[in-house]
Amino acid sequence: MAHKRTTKSLAQRIDLSYFKQLYPLPFWRRVLTFSGAAAVLIWFAWQGLSGRAGAYNAGPLSKPHASLQARCESCHAPAAGGATFNRKVAEQNCLSCHNPAIHHAQQTFTPTCESCHVEHTNAESLTAMMDESCTQCHASLKTSQGSPKVAASIASFSEGHPEIAVIKTGASDPGTVKFNHQVHLKKDLRSLRGVVDLKCADCHRPAGSSEIWPYADPKLVSAGSRIWAKAPQAYMAPMSYELHCSGCHPLTFDSHIAEPAPHKEPPIVQEFVVSRLRDYIRLNPQAVFEAAALDPKIPRRADQRTPHNAAEWTTMHTQDADLLLWKKTCAECHTPSLKGTDLPEIPRANLTARWLTHASFDHGAHQMLTCTACHSQAPESQKTSDVLLPKIAVCQQCHHAGSQAADSRCSECHLYHDPTMKKPIEGKYSLFDFR
Amino acid sequence: MRIDGTHRPWIVTTSCLFVAATVFYVWYASHAPAGPRGGSLQGLIFGISGYALMLFAGLLSARKKKPVWRLGRTKTWMRGHLWLGLLSFPLILYHAGFASRGPLTRLLMILMYIVIGSGVVGALFQHYLPRLMTSQVPLETIYEQIPRVREKLQEEADRVIVTACGSLEGTSPDDIGAMRALIAIEYGEKVKLRQFYTEHVRPFLQQPDDAAAPLRHALRSQESFSGIRTILPETLHPALEDLEEICEEERQLILQKKLYVWLHGWLVVHVPLSIVLLLLGGVHAVMALRY
Amino acid sequence: MSDPSGIHPSALQLTIDGASVAVAPGTTIFDAARISGIAIPTLCHQQNETPVGVCRICLVEAGGRVLSAACVRPAENGMTVLTGSERVLAARRTLLELMMADHPSPCARQKQSGDCELETMAQRAGVAEPRYPKRPSSRGQDDSSFSIAVDHEACILCDRCIRGCDEIRTNNVLGRRGKGFDAGIAFDLNQPMGNSSCVSCGECMVSCPTGALTNKSVVRAVLPGGVPAEAEDLLAIPAFQKVSGTFLELNKNSVVRRQFKKGEIICREGEYGSTAFYMLEGTVEVFLASPMAHVKTEGGTTGFFHKIASRLAPRRQDHRQDENDRPSIPIDASVDLSYDNPVAQLGPGELFGEMTCMSRYPRSATVRAATDCTVLEMLRNVLDIMLRNKSVKSEIERNYKRRALMDHLRSVPLFAPLTDSFMDSLSEAAKLVRYSAGDVICRQGDIADALYLVRIGFVKVTTSHPGGEMVEAYLGRGSYFGEIGLLRKGARTATVSALDHVDLVRIEADDFRRMMDAFPDVRRELERISMERLLQNRKRAEAGGAVPLSQFLAQGLMEAQSLLVLDLEKCTRCDQCVKACADAHGGTTRLIREGLRFDNFLIATSCRQCRDPLCMVGCPVGAIRRRGSLEVIIEDWCIGCGLCAKNCPYGNINMQPVTVTEQRDGKSVAVVKQKATSCDLCTDHEEPSCVYACPHDAAHRVDPNEFFRRIQG
Repeated sequence: MAHKRTTKSLAQRIDLSYFKQLYPLPFWRRVLTFSGAAAVLIWFAWQGLSGRAGAYNAGPLSKPHASLQARCESCHAPAAGGATFNRKVAEQNCLSCHNPAIHHAQQTFTPTCESCHVEHTNAESLTAMMDESCTQCHASLKTSQGSPKVAASIASFSEGHPEIAVIKTGASDPGTVKFNHQVHLKKDLRSLRGVVDLKCADCHRPAGSSEIWPYADPKLVSAGSRIWAKAPQAYMAPMSYELHCSGCHPLTFDSHIAEPAPHKEPPIVQEFVVSRLRDYIRLNPQAVFEAAALDPKIPRRADQRTPHNAAEWTTMHTQDADLLLWKKTCAECHTPSLKGTDLPEIPRANLTARWLTHASFDHGAHQMLTCTACHSQAPESQKTSDVLLPKIAVCQQCHHAGSQAADSRCSECHLYHDPTMKKPIEGKYSLFDFR
Repeated sequence: MRIDGTHRPWIVTTSCLFVAATVFYVWYASHAPAGPRGGSLQGLIFGISGYALMLFAGLLSARKKKPVWRLGRTKTWMRGHLWLGLLSFPLILYHAGFASRGPLTRLLMILMYIVIGSGVVGALFQHYLPRLMTSQVPLETIYEQIPRVREKLQEEADRVIVTACGSLEGTSPDDIGAMRALIAIEYGEKVKLRQFYTEHVRPFLQQPDDAAAPLRHALRSQESFSGIRTILPETLHPALEDLEEICEEERQLILQKKLYVWLHGWLVVHVPLSIVLLLLGGVHAVMALRY
Repeated sequence: MSDPSGIHPSALQLTIDGASVAVAPGTTIFDAARISGIAIPTLCHQQNETPVGVCRICLVEAGGRVLSAACVRPAENGMTVLTGSERVLAARRTLLELMMADHPSPCARQKQSGDCELETMAQRAGVAEPRYPKRPSSRGQDDSSFSIAVDHEACILCDRCIRGCDEIRTNNVLGRRGKGFDAGIAFDLNQPMGNSSCVSCGECMVSCPTGALTNKSVVRAVLPGGVPAEAEDLLAIPAFQKVSGTFLELNKNSVVRRQFKKGEIICREGEYGSTAFYMLEGTVEVFLASPMAHVKTEGGTTGFFHKIASRLAPRRQDHRQDENDRPSIPIDASVDLSYDNPVAQLGPGELFGEMTCMSRYPRSATVRAATDCTVLEMLRNVLDIMLRNKSVKSEIERNYKRRALMDHLRSVPLFAPLTDSFMDSLSEAAKLVRYSAGDVICRQGDIADALYLVRIGFVKVTTSHPGGEMVEAYLGRGSYFGEIGLLRKGARTATVSALDHVDLVRIEADDFRRMMDAFPDVRRELERISMERLLQNRKRAEAGGAVPLSQFLAQGLMEAQSLLVLDLEKCTRCDQCVKACADAHGGTTRLIREGLRFDNFLIATSCRQCRDPLCMVGCPVGAIRRRGSLEVIIEDWCIGCGLCAKNCPYGNINMQPVTVTEQRDGKSVAVVKQKATSCDLCTDHEEPSCVYACPHDAAHRVDPNEFFRRIQG
């Protein structure tokens, strides 16, 4: 039997140095390993020598910074005091283009720019922060003056966010103009224009609205509009007599004079009244001798005299007008303070244009809602002192955590950098720097 | 390698570490001001530990270069490579916050997927294939020596024929002369055997990888041999048996080659790419910390 | 059988073939005829031997009714003798024809030198082609002697050899055996000639008339480089006294005289040869030319990285606990080489190359002429005769005692504390005894009466068990055995038999006991060692009783004491084990990942530490041996002859190149030398490197019985 397998015959077929040679598989493993390593080194050297950023580029910049994509040194400049290895972003680099104000004078530490504004994420905007940027302090707030009691343990909009300040303090509307929403929003309201149904938007509109004011005296509209151009866009424009009230509440003062008095301080009104009366009597001298029709609206004075001349007539009618105005017409909404026969002082209206001073609110983003959806207490409000802002719970109904809720991030409403302290920076770049 | 009960301590430890890391990551990611980032402290912890595990995994090759040095058993290093290497995958993902935006980091992420993936695939091969090889290739030999063994088998087959038939080439009938009549039958069979050998068996032994050879297939070979066995006398049957055994061994060597390539071929992807991954990872670590 | 010079007064007068001759009384007819110049043909008669008259060829007519044998019939006065009559010739012819019928003509002598007396006579008588058929059964041949070939077929039972051996040489080896048809000559008690007490003097061969006893011509080959030594010159040498001159004459070409100039190499270690050398003049140096390259696991650390490596790869101190056993390297000469300085000198009258010549082992050392010298190189038959020569034997004994015996005795650890004077007297009492292949030196169960030390050759130590014989060990030069039996004053615990041509030093039990009484510490030490050995043997015997599986047996796995098994279901064929083995052994691997399978394990080709280590038989320098524990190691002085590799039935020993730096002319030169390598179980490390390095826990060194019993469940 020629073919017998024994251990010795099998072993003697083997060349004993076989394991020292490189066979194809290990050979290619080794070749590819070395060439891979060499490729890495060559690539690295090439990147370094040609100044490319491939080795350290952490991702595309956000859209606002896109023009800096090729200029790493705009942000990653070497630290001051000589070239060091470290190329971390220092705050000076941000400040060369931005100058944000600090958040609060008593904050115990200032986070670095990049701890909240994370770049290299191809973001649309760098300003949308995660809640953690804020809650890192506000979750258990400590200031340089100790632990405050407000805004001290906010975990998120739904947890620990304090009630709206003005509601929480129970403050009242400081406005001095007397207004009763309930009356005005009544159905079938009788007015000078007949029976009307006022809607919220007839008076409350965001600034810049170009729609016709239905209850404005057309002759006074342009004067009011000029005022509104200064108001912030997101907020409802402040109330203006000319645009909102003049239509139903004209400041007529005398039956002889159709033109209403201007809605201004009493001295001006007085002067207007007097001048109009004088003009009238001059043009209509026979009116001196006309019996004064009793006007039930005008509160009577005790002594009723008959005017003899124009001057007396003017004086008498002026007095009547003053009575009408100061005691009735103006007092309808204002609280003139009468001091004897002097002109009254009417306190400033003190209408609040913006209620939320620490947060921003955009009515435009909420225009799909009815006004009373949030301002539910408005139709029942009788007093001016009622603060008709919705409670925060109303906001929280839509703005809460979860992917199917409206955005409830801090940055949705709040700003870190105090906008009132914002200062413009002195620009020092030319166009060449950004081309 | 078999991943059996002896791996259990490693599996348990790795799972615990994984769970701990995941818990830590979830807590950290939900509290990070700007989301999980590689450069934050926790991100760095993940990155360093992940890279350290990768380095350890990569050092297995180096350990195998000095098998006698007492640096811990290669068996331990191998298991560490498997399990701790696998653990580095989630750690790096946690380090990256599941994002890879820059060109280098994207490349690293892809490389890591390939390396870990090829490693897992390779581990599966090395778990299942040895058993398959053992059962399917009983006549296995050393892979690197297959060409030499084939030479020896070829020589042995030649010897079998020479012993049985006199010579490989064969003598022409005229040389036999007067004895022809006496040994005609015996001679004829030897010619047949020699013919069978030179036409079918020898080409197969010389080019075993040629897919067209009928002897490559066990059943067809069996048929061929039983056919020729029927027409040859019993005196030549031992030679045929030897040839048949040699052919069987050749067939098994073909199978062994295939299985071996599967068993070790994936390393040609895994090893070079892992070195590139480690080098680039180091570059990334330095550059990311610098910037 | 005196040849009378003159006419004796009482001379007899007789007529032979018509011629008258006067002879002294007592003279035989043959001698009388010889005196008168007539040659009567004989076959069984030789002049220097007592005549026996068995062949009847010398029949003559002497006046009687029957013919008389001339060689024994004494001459009588007035006898008429006819030596060539018709009747005589016819009788002679018939006798020759009958003898030729059984003769294997042409017999060996006829073929060799054409002078077979029977055939020549038969030819002359015209009866070379007998009419009778040969006897049906062959009487056989005897090839056992190194120098003389015995062909009983050609024997004519003339008894010349017997008389030559008894009368001339007084060796009394030959005799007759059997009767009638079965009669023949026999050596001693019908032993084969080579195993008998025959001293190969050659007298019988010289006496034999036919080709029954012929000179074995091993000698067609010419020994190159020498001048065939003349018989007279040889006989002048004391070593060749009493050797048959005819024998030397016939074997002229088997022994040559060679001259070597100073510095010439006479023989090289590792070469195979068939001759021995006997020094006549001058001195030679005997040394090992092979560098003492480490074929075992690296010991010693040199260089910074090696030192670091040695700290990382901690090694036990190289124990070599039985280093004291062997302070010297045993070689094939009358002296051993010291391990530290393996050079020795031999002078006139010393013999070397005995084992190579007698047992065909490779040369054990390199011999170089230190001065101009003359040596005799001889083949086996001549050496055999020389060694059987009593004077040579005593000379060898003397040399051995003087040069090597003391070292050998000292190498027996229990003899170490003895005083020099005691050792001297002990060595005086020691005798050299010789055995041939297969001889039993002592049998298990025999009463112990001596301690033996092996001077040359190999012995096998076996114990018999109910199931068969089990080999315990092979012992070579320098080993000793027999002490257990001696100590217990009882029976031998094992059988020791000679594997080949073996010379033993024998120390009698009485001397031994004297030693015991005088040195109680030695007795205690000896008892301890012998107990250990007994326990080892018993353990091995017990282990051997496990039920084997057929494949287990077929692969010889029963023989193994330690197997390297690779679990093929875990092994990924990555070769880490092989690489680790090579790493731990200077680049040569001791394991091959190939072999037969058992179950799903591969039994790797790596030393199995067999119970019956066939590899150890025949190592010319005793380099392959077992230490106190299991592993078979190959020592540094391996000369690379390759015998162990050939002997190992599993291919576990391989010859591989080992690089070593030698100092040549003051420069360090890297030399590559072939050495035998085999697995040594990495005793320098805590565990075998292959097992340590396997990444998949697939390699294990196991005891086969335990392991496979566990597998079977």
